[in-house]
Amino acid sequence: MRLTGVGRRYGIGGPWVVRDVDMELPEGALLRVTGANGSGKSTLLRVLAGIDAPNAGRVEGRPRTAYVPERFPAALPFTAAGYLTAMGRVHGLGRAAAARAAGEWLERFGAGHHARTRLSQLSKGTSQKVAVAQGLLAAPGLLVLDEAWTGLDPASRTILDRAVTDRVAAGGTVVFVDHDPGRLADAAHTVFRVEDGRLRRDGHPAPVAEDRVRIEAEGPPGAALPPALPGDPACEPAPGGRPGALRLTVAGAHSDELLRALLAARPPWHIHAVTPRETNR
Amino acid sequence: MTALLRYQTALLIRSHRWLAPLLLHAAFLAVGVRVGEPVLGALGIAAAALVPTAAWLTRVCVTNEPPAARDCSAAAAGPGRTHLAAVLTALLASAALGTVCAALVAAVSAPSSADRAVAVPFWPALRAGLAAALACALLGVAVGALCNRPLLRSTAQAVPATVLAVFLVLFAGVSPAMAAVEGLVTGSRDGSVHLPLLPLTAAAVLAAGATAVACAASGRRG
Repeated sequence: MRLTGVGRRYGIGGPWVVRDVDMELPEGALLRVTGANGSGKSTLLRVLAGIDAPNAGRVEGRPRTAYVPERFPAALPFTAAGYLTAMGRVHGLGRAAAARAAGEWLERFGAGHHARTRLSQLSKGTSQKVAVAQGLLAAPGLLVLDEAWTGLDPASRTILDRAVTDRVAAGGTVVFVDHDPGRLADAAHTVFRVEDGRLRRDGHPAPVAEDRVRIEAEGPPGAALPPALPGDPACEPAPGGRPGALRLTVAGAHSDELLRALLAARPPWHIHAVTPRETNR
Repeated sequence: MTALLRYQTALLIRSHRWLAPLLLHAAFLAVGVRVGEPVLGALGIAAAALVPTAAWLTRVCVTNEPPAARDCSAAAAGPGRTHLAAVLTALLASAALGTVCAALVAAVSAPSSADRAVAVPFWPALRAGLAAALACALLGVAVGALCNRPLLRSTAQAVPATVLAVFLVLFAGVSPAMAAVEGLVTGSRDGSVHLPLLPLTAAAVLAAGATAVACAASGRRG
């Protein structure tokens, strides 16, 4: 997606909140937006999410988009699972897929037991989990997070971090604003700063490093690799290893899942070595 | 669009905010329609009552989502389409209400002209009553679309504007709603049934225009 000369103001003749924004949002990129309070970060995020149309300039090549607000005090007459299923369908999922994704994401954030609770009865943190699940459940091409971590407990913040890196590893674009300067600091590819309504790139963009992990593993004699491994690892015979040993290379975001899958396979695989590998993309 | 309509309909039904406009509508009909009165005049009153009800239902539908939830659906489906789904939900609800009420009114009214001299056939009368009801529902929705967010965002502007616009639609000489209702009422005098196709078309054009303006503004004015 690309923004060219984008400006946004509220009311005709009102002051520009953001203007002259040129921004490139490549696939598989994690972009952070920073700026002081009231600098126009949230306005920029609303334009990126497609909630607000720009008053000047163009937005081109928008993929399927999802947005997660900072607060989700949803006085909606639905249960958590009911709302998520309805939103899954709005995001373009079929009925069964939407219901399944709703259940899975609530489960993932440890809110599975609240699936049948009405949204109006949820705690603030659990409501926020519902909002986050709403953003993630349809695997959007562009995910916009406006301080989505606020209100989540530490465990859920980690799960959201992980979900964000997974989304990026799967080729999605994620744009976020957060109070915590350390949030996804190693993972963010580009940091933008909104200042006086203008967008600046903070310093030089670090070369996009994709961390990959090599796993050397050996199965029981004659056993094939378990099907549908997480992260779709590249697979080759382990160099200099024993005949049955394999070397699997996978994106860092999927390495834990892959290890888990190998160890949980029946019969289980034996892990020889795990080595991180940095490559410049 | 189907998913959005289903979501908005569920939202409308579960929110119970349809209850107040429905009671208003029932009150209008209870005052305006008597059992055994001539059918065409009664259908005219039933149709006219639909203008304020449809305007109110539209207000309910376009303000039903809390802002945070509205932002989420606007990002997923686009603000224009989300707004269109809300307005269409109000139109469907108003049309359904109008259909049920027209059928009830036709069933309990006398199948005759105002002076009881001429018999009025049931089905043509019901068809004309339904067309007038649909015209009134469309105009009520048009009023609701123009007098609420995103065009008028504060309640202090939206509610008086809606009341004023409903009066205009019901009593201004050029209004298609007025034309449709008057067609029924004057037809009742000599027992002739006029199908109000021209007012219905005009109402549809006006409603489409009003909805288009509101939907186009929904991404611009939040």
